[in-house]
Amino acid sequence: MSINEESFAADKLNILDCGRLKFTKEKSGFMTLETDGKTYNKVNLTRLQPFYEKTRFISVNYENDEKEFIEIGVIRDMKELSDGQFEVVNDFLEYKYYMPLITKICSIKENMRGSLFVKAVTTAGDKTICIRDWYRNFKLIGGKYLYVCDVEGNKYYCDDVEMRLDKKSLAAMEMFT
Amino acid sequence: MNLKTSFPKGVQSSEVLFSLPYDLNDRAQPVSGHLCVTDSEILVYLNNELKSRYYIDDFSEFKCEQLVGSSMMIGELKSGESIAFCIFRQQEFLRYAELCKLLDYYARTGRLITETPEDEPCCPKCGMPLEGAKECPFCANKTGLFIKLIKRVKPYRKYFIIALICTVFEQILWLIVPNITRMIIDDYVTPKNTDWVGFFVLCGLLVGLAALSCIPNSMNMRCSFKVALNMGKDLREDVFAKSERMSLSAVTKKTAGELIRRVSGDAAKLESFVTEKGKDFVVQAISLIALMAILFVMNWKLALLTVVPIPFVFLLTKKLFHTMAVRYTRVWRNMTDHDSVLHDILNGVRVVKAYGTEVQEIQKYTGYSLKAARACVRAEIVWYLTIPFAEFVMTVGNYLVLLFGGRLILDGGMKLGELVQFTTYVAMLYDPIRWFIHIPKEFSDAAVSASKVFEVLEDESSLKEAENAVESEISGEIELKNVYFGYREYAPVLKDITMKINKGEMIGIVGHSGVGKSTLINLILRLYDVTDGQILIDGRDIRSYAQKSLRSQIGVVLQETFLFDGSVLDNICYAKPDATFEEVVRAAKIANAHDFVTKLPDGYNTRVGNKGYQLSGGERQRIAIARAIIHDPKIIILDEATASLDTETEKQIQEALGRLTEGRTTIAIAHRLSTLSGADRLAVLDKGKLAEFDTHDNLMRKHGVYYGLVMAQRRTTKMRGQKQAAEV
Ligand SMILES: Nc1ncnc2c1ncn2[C@@H]1O[C@H](COP(=O)(O)OP(=O)(O)OP(=O)(O)O)[C@@H](O)[C@H]1O
Ligand SMILES: [Mg+2]
Repeated sequence: MSINEESFAADKLNILDCGRLKFTKEKSGFMTLETDGKTYNKVNLTRLQPFYEKTRFISVNYENDEKEFIEIGVIRDMKELSDGQFEVVNDFLEYKYYMPLITKICSIKENMRGSLFVKAVTTAGDKTICIRDWYRNFKLIGGKYLYVCDVEGNKYYCDDVEMRLDKKSLAAMEMFT
Repeated sequence: MNLKTSFPKGVQSSEVLFSLPYDLNDRAQPVSGHLCVTDSEILVYLNNELKSRYYIDDFSEFKCEQLVGSSMMIGELKSGESIAFCIFRQQEFLRYAELCKLLDYYARTGRLITETPEDEPCCPKCGMPLEGAKECPFCANKTGLFIKLIKRVKPYRKYFIIALICTVFEQILWLIVPNITRMIIDDYVTPKNTDWVGFFVLCGLLVGLAALSCIPNSMNMRCSFKVALNMGKDLREDVFAKSERMSLSAVTKKTAGELIRRVSGDAAKLESFVTEKGKDFVVQAISLIALMAILFVMNWKLALLTVVPIPFVFLLTKKLFHTMAVRYTRVWRNMTDHDSVLHDILNGVRVVKAYGTEVQEIQKYTGYSLKAARACVRAEIVWYLTIPFAEFVMTVGNYLVLLFGGRLILDGGMKLGELVQFTTYVAMLYDPIRWFIHIPKEFSDAAVSASKVFEVLEDESSLKEAENAVESEISGEIELKNVYFGYREYAPVLKDITMKINKGEMIGIVGHSGVGKSTLINLILRLYDVTDGQILIDGRDIRSYAQKSLRSQIGVVLQETFLFDGSVLDNICYAKPDATFEEVVRAAKIANAHDFVTKLPDGYNTRVGNKGYQLSGGERQRIAIARAIIHDPKIIILDEATASLDTETEKQIQEALGRLTEGRTTIAIAHRLSTLSGADRLAVLDKGKLAEFDTHDNLMRKHGVYYGLVMAQRRTTKMRGQKQAAEV
């Protein structure tokens, strides 16, 4: 084996064949994966691009007994999974990345200490979201995706502000993005 | 922490020791549930109905798993299986984490602590603990921003008052002028009076007044200037000093460009605003009142006509204020982005060149520059669209006065001179009004800057100095007791580290990249405070030392070598500005830097600006080592200090350091394990915990983590050696 092959075998993105995967929910909150006759317990799923792709490029990984991170592979597109499987995987991702969508911004107040108080309507109800260090935690990414992380660590988002928010919300937001 | 925040309906609270709500199910749907703990069971309720029941004794471990948007409480059964009890959003995380800690303690020791300390007082707005402060430092609303600003004039109040008096005096002089004009017109021009003496006296008086007003005017300008410059200087210095003193974690949240803007841009804006507008405010308000009084005394009916449009104008400008504030904040944001990008690109110029991405960066910069310019235009345009209109509305009063005043003259109810005097006063009245119309613009612009400046000035994040901080010589004994630390409190990087480093020992810290080695030394330097546990130096908590005293006795070479703009000498002297030249050379010799510095054309005076890019990576490191040892520190910390050096040079430096470090405590971090061959003991970090702490020989015998690291490194070195041999 030449040195190149040896060191570069690790850099291949191992795209998983969705037909051969069988995920089942575990009581631990994580998944069990059966594939090619092997069974992995406590499997974790990670969105590689959580901002932009919710169902594509999902890393399937687990921690071995040494607590080392081991990636089994990557699901290129969850659409390739069968219906039941899609649901199991999606449920997990949905609560792992639980993030209410902001549907309306009523008002934003700033105090002089770098905190923002955003009154917003979200899919989890009406909220006054309190944000510290808002330069970092209230951001418009790529001019479209609104990323919000409040003082308690809860995250909120709006994937396309122009489309999803009304004029008034955009006006309220304008000053801070 | 209060762990009984919410109970399911109808559940007796005396049996339930802890009860916390959870709000998500395993399909990410919002639910209303509770997790209750009694002295033997864990009960999970959903919609107030018991869903599942577990026995605490069946579990061996409890933990909180933090996911991205939610967290889970997980229990590990003795059989090895894990159970997720519930899923909740992050606001409950700290409480569940605390609960897990208690349950885990029970699983380990069999004792269940049921008394939890009362909830710390929390900020009603953001819900975060107040940590002893009366008001949440982040949520407190800061009113009276401008009062605070004006207070800063205090040291220069003498000049400020002189300037004020001069302006008032000047205004009074100008108030007399229309009176004289009236006398000239009514007593001389209209009646065709040829009493030339009186006429010339009045004319002379006019010229005299104008000349006289020069004196207060020049005095005023001189004093105002003095106040402005001094206050600006103070503000800049304060903002800079404060940003230097802020805790590392607060500073790293802001980009350098942002801080530069605050130190220079915003402070300068305030400087001119307070002195110009602050003083003018008093003057303009006085002249407004005085002029109004004069007008009403002269002819109240005409006076009423002039003031009719004014309320409308003020309403309009008040509305504008908010719009302008929004737009100026935007301008500020864009300008800051622009500054940050500029700073970033210029700092990374070597990377840009190396990748040949100049064009891309120019485009990026142009984009930001354009955006900033656009924001400015958008802010100003509103203003320039409305203001001419507002000014027109305002002067409508003037035409009304002319109309009705003219009729009064024709009817004989008023003299021409009186009308001229009146309209002159009206025209003068428009000055302060115009000033007040324009103030929203200046005010909103300054308000944005003021808020940014005070955000820095009032930051309270700096590490608190103990009340009677001691400044004492340390001998170099370091002890860590159950130290926990995380950059974010709930994500610990270091867990339960306990070790004792004796005076004069050399300790090596090894472990995988990202395990927390640099973090550990950040804690010993007290750049951050530990989350839990204690660090003692000479048996005394490091929080009780004066920070300056502590750090002046520690020499440190950080992982990223940073040299300041200045000569080699300046950089080595950094920690001890009064060092003699001999001391500098000695330090340089120990660091093995003397030889290459001597070869530089300008010797020790060679300028190593811009982070020292003229020097090689290893040369920079050697200067950093010299800098770390020049002030004879009791503790020396070397974070990958010799990583860029060849093994030969490294060995030389180590020998020199070895001589130097006798009686001094040294902590060295290195990936190249051979670097640490001289270490008395090695601390092996693994997964955030102290896995092993012993001498090299003992660790090798133990066949543990360290053994694994050494073997792995030997294998690769050997492989490389073989390959090279094969190629030759
Ligand atoms: N300022 C910071 N804020 C948040 N997390 C940080 C910060 N600095 C470091 N970390 C994280 O803390 C962990 C430990 O970092 P640390 O720098 O101590 O590692 P290290 O052991 O020195 O690694 P290396 O050998 O690569 O220098 C890393 O996971 C890192 O991502
Ligand atoms: Mg490091």
